[in-house]
Amino acid sequence: MIRSSIERYHPADSFLHADSFPSVWCQGCGIGTAVYAFIEAVKEENISPKKIGVVSGIGCTGKVSECLKLKTYSVIDGNVVDYAVQLKKKDQDLTVAVFLNNADFLLSGAKDFIEAGKRGANLIIIYVNNFICVISENKVFPITPFMRMSIDNEFELPFNIPHLAKSCGASYVARWTPIHAGWMKYSLIEAISKKGYSMIEVISPCLIYDGNDGRIQDAVDRMKFYNDNSVMKNEEPTENLDLRSQNKVIIGKFVDFE
Amino acid sequence: MNVEICIIKERCKGCGICVEVCQTDVLELSDELNSQGYRTPRVKSAEECLNCGMCEMFCADFAIWVMTKAEEVGA
Ligand code: SF4
Ligand code: SF4
Ligand code: SF4
Repeated sequence: MIRSSIERYHPADSFLHADSFPSVWCQGCGIGTAVYAFIEAVKEENISPKKIGVVSGIGCTGKVSECLKLKTYSVIDGNVVDYAVQLKKKDQDLTVAVFLNNADFLLSGAKDFIEAGKRGANLIIIYVNNFICVISENKVFPITPFMRMSIDNEFELPFNIPHLAKSCGASYVARWTPIHAGWMKYSLIEAISKKGYSMIEVISPCLIYDGNDGRIQDAVDRMKFYNDNSVMKNEEPTENLDLRSQNKVIIGKFVDFE
Repeated sequence: MNVEICIIKERCKGCGICVEVCQTDVLELSDELNSQGYRTPRVKSAEECLNCGMCEMFCADFAIWVMTKAEEVGA
């Protein structure tokens, strides 16, 4: 039905299942931007669609593998990074990208993430940090923002993911927000051509759960918020990147080893 | 400039980001609803377009893009 109304094709349409659009993501969510940046990076690098593997797990980032016309794999949570490592082992020519969210990563797959980094697996990890994990059932979660409490009125300091990635041996670490789609694209180009473990964090607080209590829910206001509240500091030491002691989110490229 | 702005209305979610990022006010949200009930953008003044590609970059639903008329290919 939708296809019949298309007269011309979007430049990225050869990588997409056209009927899966409009996508399931909310207006202003960063996952769609990350997908756009990924497709642009792949086009720039001239990789054949048959030579790209995309692995994703459950939840909102899990839908990425449903809309891309590449070798995509939907894996149950907790197995995503491990599956990607096996995939890369089987076919060394394959460029493997992993779309992770909190449920696939901090809740159940953190061990695989660390192990893959330690062994220097040649993967591109795109971690969409939406600061929420619904499955954790109102408990505080390692990435729960500072001063946001659970129903038990407890709070914790959020965890520093870029520092974790660096300390487990990543050779490329960057962090962007959805408004920095162009930078994200160049980051992904660098990550694709890098032989080693690359991690790109996309800060994209969930609009549904974050907007519940009167915070910004409108897509345009959200983009302005990212623009006003981020500051670019390339080569910043990763120890300073935790999301509690900063007034503004520090974005940029932090680690780039050969 | 000799460009064409293409919009697939059925894909649009009416978020308005493309309207906001356009520096030269080429686009505006129209009152026309698509089948999902979203307000879709509309080209207001195509001759002002700089072909900067910002609207294309920020549309997370791949609903809008620009192409110069010479490279118009179709499929
Ligand atoms: S805003 Fe939240 S619920 Fe909506 S698509 Fe993004 S992560 Fe999912
Ligand atoms: S290409 Fe640039 S100038 Fe043209 S409509 Fe898009 S954002 Fe506006
Ligand atoms: S950015 Fe895309 S989805 Fe949002 S209003 Fe523009 S065309 Fe529609």
